[in-house]
Amino acid sequence: MSAPIISLAHVSRIYEMGHVTVPALDDVSLDVHEGEFVAIVGPSGSGKSTMMNILGCLDRPTAGSYSLAGTAVESLGDDALARVRSRTIGFVFQSYNLLPRTTALDNVATPLLYQGIRGAERRRRATAALGRLGLADRLDHEPTELSGGQQQRVAVARAIVTEPALILADEPTGNLDSHAGAEVMALFRELNAAGRTIVLITHDAEVAAAAGRQIHLRDGRVAA
Amino acid sequence: MSIIELLRLALSRLRTSRLRAALTMLGVIIGVASVVALVGVGQGTTANITSRLNALGTNLLTISPTGKGASDGTLTLDDSEAIAKVDGVAAVAPEVSTSQTVTRGTTSTDTTVVGTTAAYASVRAFDVWQGTFLTTPAVDLGLRVAVLGATTADNLGITAQDLGAEIRVGGIPYQVIGILQPKGGSGFQDPDDQVVVPVGSVQKYFVGGDSVRTIGVSTTDGASQDTVTADITALLRNRHELAPSDDDDFNVFNQTQLLAAATSIAGTLALLLGGIASISLVVGGIGIMNIMLVSVRERTREIGIRKAVGARGRDILAQFLVEALTLSLLGGLIGIAVGLLVSAGIGRLAGWGFTLSPTTIGVAVLFSLIVGVVFGVWPARQAARLDPITALRYE
Ligand SMILES: Nc1ncnc2c1ncn2[C@@H]1O[C@H](COP(=O)(O)OP(=O)(O)OP(=O)(O)O)[C@@H](O)[C@H]1O
Ligand SMILES: [Mg+2]
Repeated sequence: MSAPIISLAHVSRIYEMGHVTVPALDDVSLDVHEGEFVAIVGPSGSGKSTMMNILGCLDRPTAGSYSLAGTAVESLGDDALARVRSRTIGFVFQSYNLLPRTTALDNVATPLLYQGIRGAERRRRATAALGRLGLADRLDHEPTELSGGQQQRVAVARAIVTEPALILADEPTGNLDSHAGAEVMALFRELNAAGRTIVLITHDAEVAAAAGRQIHLRDGRVAA
Repeated sequence: MSIIELLRLALSRLRTSRLRAALTMLGVIIGVASVVALVGVGQGTTANITSRLNALGTNLLTISPTGKGASDGTLTLDDSEAIAKVDGVAAVAPEVSTSQTVTRGTTSTDTTVVGTTAAYASVRAFDVWQGTFLTTPAVDLGLRVAVLGATTADNLGITAQDLGAEIRVGGIPYQVIGILQPKGGSGFQDPDDQVVVPVGSVQKYFVGGDSVRTIGVSTTDGASQDTVTADITALLRNRHELAPSDDDDFNVFNQTQLLAAATSIAGTLALLLGGIASISLVVGGIGIMNIMLVSVRERTREIGIRKAVGARGRDILAQFLVEALTLSLLGGLIGIAVGLLVSAGIGRLAGWGFTLSPTTIGVAVLFSLIVGVVFGVWPARQAARLDPITALRYE
């Protein structure tokens, strides 16, 4: 088996709310190997999004260590983290997080902008990514002019446009009907077959079953 | 990210909030426009003063009384005659002036009546347009004859055919013997609005005594103004019997001094106006800062998203800085255009024309860039420092 691309060792994420502390993640240890397709499942509030934010280098654990492709993330500075987010990771947010008043095309092209890719090339690649998600006819629509499911697919397109080694998707099919959901899953399987590592969060047992491995979270802990 | 990408981002952002961008720029527009306009007006004034003083005659010395006796007048007609004999002096004209109402029939005008001698025309560089100027016999006899400035003649409705007509100066009848060529110029003192009469008649009818208000001296070409000034000073001190420890009771102005004084006053004025205008530029800059800070707040999520997809702190910094710079530079350019229009308009009204100064424009552009950087950096840094997850959670 190949080396782990993701390795969490005793990771906790505790939110301090005044005098109450919420342990959203509690001593989680976990390895994901390169080329794996992992589904994270668990009830609402079990810490799935919290874990995903840590995996995506958006948030830092309060305890434990996270190593990504052999590098300890704690040791990285802000610019190095930005570089990891730019080059290695494609992130699909549960709440889409598209740029407001910005067309679908420009939204999808934004990660390429920060890779220093030129305008024409950005447009070409963003158009192709949107095309793969069946949005070729919605390039110039702003988020408010798109349905929830379409916004979700724009968010997926933005995550895959840089062809990242690691795709982290927080409920990428949550707002899609079964047909569109199946298409997004087919796309992920195709990317996985091409060697990309995929971690996705889902509530849907059918979606989870399509993954190679399932990780169950409950109250911030990995269940057996 | 290249500057072109950043500019494109900034422009598309400004396009989505046009009214706000316009209002923000307004502060800089007003600031830059007033700096450009006021500096333009200041330069126009200086140029105008200089050219007017030159028109008065470059070899003119003006002597006037100073000190305790100034109001009584320490200069006399005899002083004037004595000065005429100094080496390097071409002509001397004593002057006594008074403000009087001049009437001709039912028409009247308030003007300056200058009592002087025949040399006045050459000393003050006036040419006669119609008739004759005062003659030495007429002055010696104190005849009631008058030569009118072009403006005064106009005001009284006197033309070439009216030579010899009678006018009343402060009620005293005078005969018009000539009309002067207009010198032109406008503003605070019109050199063509005057009535020139023999000095003796002004002393006799209007001011009394035998002192004179000023003595105009024209020096010969090639004579050193400084030497002539020194000679006249020595002569007058001697005539006024001043002890070596006494101050002069008169003052000799030469054209160069006057020019320097006037130019320095105009320069100070321009500086003062520019300073006041700069304050409005600072206020405009604070407007930009305010908007940028609000904008960073409002766009916290956007910043979070950009960071999540790979933007570094410096990319965000550059984005917000370029936005602020675009606002201030655009405002600055519009301000320059408005300022130039205003100063051209004022120059035209005031009649001193309009000079486009590249320095002013350069300084204005530089100023608006500085405003953009100074007031844009702080909000931009605030934006760049935000932590992605905090920014994404911001409501
Ligand atoms: N910023 C925060 N401050 C305090 N507590 C938080 C914060 N974010 C999440 N939590 C808490 O951490 C726990 C885990 O939240 P998380 O978003 O990871 O759940 P989740 O598994 O993704 O749920 P869902 O399936 O509903 O998306 C929750 O109990 C939540 O209340
Ligand atoms: Mg969640």
